[in-house]
Amino acid sequence: MQHRDTQDLVGGLALAALGLFAAYYAHDHYEIGNLRRMGPGFFPVSLGLTLAVLGLLVAIPAWFRQGPAIRPAWNTLFLVTLSLVVFSFSLKTLGVMVATALAVLLSSMADRQFGWKARLLLCIGVAAVTYLIFILGLNMVLPLWPWSA
Amino acid sequence: MDILNGLLLGLNAALEPVTLLYCFIGVFLGTLIGVLPGIGALAAISLLLPITYHIPPTAAIVMLAGVYYGAQYGGSTASILLNLPGTPSSAVACLDGYPMAKQGRAGVALFMTTIASFVGSMLGILALVLFSPAIAEIGLEFGAAEYFAMMLVGLIAASTLATGSPAKGLAMVVLGLLIGTIGTDINSGVSRFNFDIPSLMDGINLVALAMGVFGIAEVMSSINVSRENEVKEKITMRTMMPTRQDVQQSIMPMLRGTGIGSFLGALPGTGASIASFMSYAVEKRVAKDPSRFGNGAIEGITSPEAANNAASQTAFIPTLSLGIPGDAVMALMLGALIIHGIQPGPLLMTQQPELFWGLIVSFGIGNIMLMVLNLPMIGLWVAILRIPYSVLYPAILVFISLGVYSVNSNTFDILIVAIIGALGYAMALLKFDAAPLLLGFVLGPLMEENLRRALLLSRGDLATFVDRPISAGILAFGAFLVIWTLWGALRRQLKGQEAARDFSD
Repeated sequence: MQHRDTQDLVGGLALAALGLFAAYYAHDHYEIGNLRRMGPGFFPVSLGLTLAVLGLLVAIPAWFRQGPAIRPAWNTLFLVTLSLVVFSFSLKTLGVMVATALAVLLSSMADRQFGWKARLLLCIGVAAVTYLIFILGLNMVLPLWPWSA
Repeated sequence: MDILNGLLLGLNAALEPVTLLYCFIGVFLGTLIGVLPGIGALAAISLLLPITYHIPPTAAIVMLAGVYYGAQYGGSTASILLNLPGTPSSAVACLDGYPMAKQGRAGVALFMTTIASFVGSMLGILALVLFSPAIAEIGLEFGAAEYFAMMLVGLIAASTLATGSPAKGLAMVVLGLLIGTIGTDINSGVSRFNFDIPSLMDGINLVALAMGVFGIAEVMSSINVSRENEVKEKITMRTMMPTRQDVQQSIMPMLRGTGIGSFLGALPGTGASIASFMSYAVEKRVAKDPSRFGNGAIEGITSPEAANNAASQTAFIPTLSLGIPGDAVMALMLGALIIHGIQPGPLLMTQQPELFWGLIVSFGIGNIMLMVLNLPMIGLWVAILRIPYSVLYPAILVFISLGVYSVNSNTFDILIVAIIGALGYAMALLKFDAAPLLLGFVLGPLMEENLRRALLLSRGDLATFVDRPISAGILAFGAFLVIWTLWGALRRQLKGQEAARDFSD
């Protein structure tokens, strides 16, 4: 056996851990009550325990089975997430136009075939479309430029 | 008689110029996002949800519904030309649609899938008209116990019948339910799982969750996906004309597909994707020469297309008549209704007849629009399909961010989307289906409320769920589903897992 089924193994264990944590946390912080009059903790604790059991049911058989390897595109994951985070922080401070251009610049770096010239053109293009749809079309109230923020 | 009156009332409501306009916008956008791989109906509907705050409720729902069934039409275009499904439910259309395109019959394939979609949708609407009133009647008898039982069975069905492993599906449902408990508990006022972050007191925003899990995760998985397989044939009206044999070979499969789709669509928990897989399997089984499948058999595209369109219409039956969404898209639709102050359920038909019947009639009108959009204007969609994804996805990301922001005018929600998107990508990578998660998330608070109410009324006696006949019947059906799934899993294990794996991947 060269390869265990890592997909189910990792996913199942993560879910089981999350379930246990949720059950423990809810048990610690919220009142359970009884069947007749449930407290706020009853539903989360039962869900957490159920999730833990299901996670193990997914993970345990996976240990004894072969499966495909996980191939994450780290580059894409990182750049797309970063572009959203940057957009979130710059939207109100630098204005829609700059925030859009930054987000497009960062996210387009995930694609392998892009050239720098095309990338810059795309920044301007998407910013223009965003302006037309969201500001002119839908009347969203947002600062446009850094100096209008 | 009642149905006739209802339809007349609905015709009036649906022919209002505002409603017609939004119906057209809905089906147009639906076809567009259906055509484009890497963005689906769920992401589009959640993107449009905030925009609908400013338009009348009927028009809003008509538009969102149009996006949903419009996407079913567009989805097969990418399957046929790129061998890349535009929507999950059109994945099956790749199996025979792409071989047809390679044989130079792309036009015929596109034409026949549109016809099949139309037939399936129209018959699905008929089923919706005939069965909804009766089901709403039964729904009037529902108490808290019945609602809880129905939702429980719906969730079990959603997770166990989905393609892939039942344990993974169930785990995703439970995770969704758990995410649904974040925020203030309506019964006690206690704020749960907020980890001292004020923005989490109101819970996770539905739009943020749907966009993260579907929108962002889909974008991440689609970047750098190669499109070398593209068939670059020019599609004209002449190349679209099917032969007499094509039509004859498609009539029965379309009807069978419609039947399967209508049934599975109406069941809570199953939907368009499962319907299309199942009808493909059925066609292969009844065919005289199964070896034609996978090599451009026309039944292999017409039956699944009819099935997923019929299913996307009958999916409205439980949502509108009981207030219980059958799949993730319906869960969003339910959310949209509630946002507009409309409580879906058995009383909807009597209290808001204009909305109910107007919506149904608009489905018919929308499908006629879709025929026009998809046959003479197919060239437009093919042209759009050829826009490289690398140009589209940065714009999609910006639109998603602004869409989420606009719900509460809160930039924190964009951060939430980024986190959920990364988690969604991890789930896609590990082959955990996110649709049951969203269903669990929407149903969670409703389920908890009904569970507590049922047990409060019965003084903590769990027997209430089996003492009441309707509840007992629903639970018995759920138990049957579980046993059937376990038996199926066992049988597959005995037969060796290879075949099943190829199908789900």
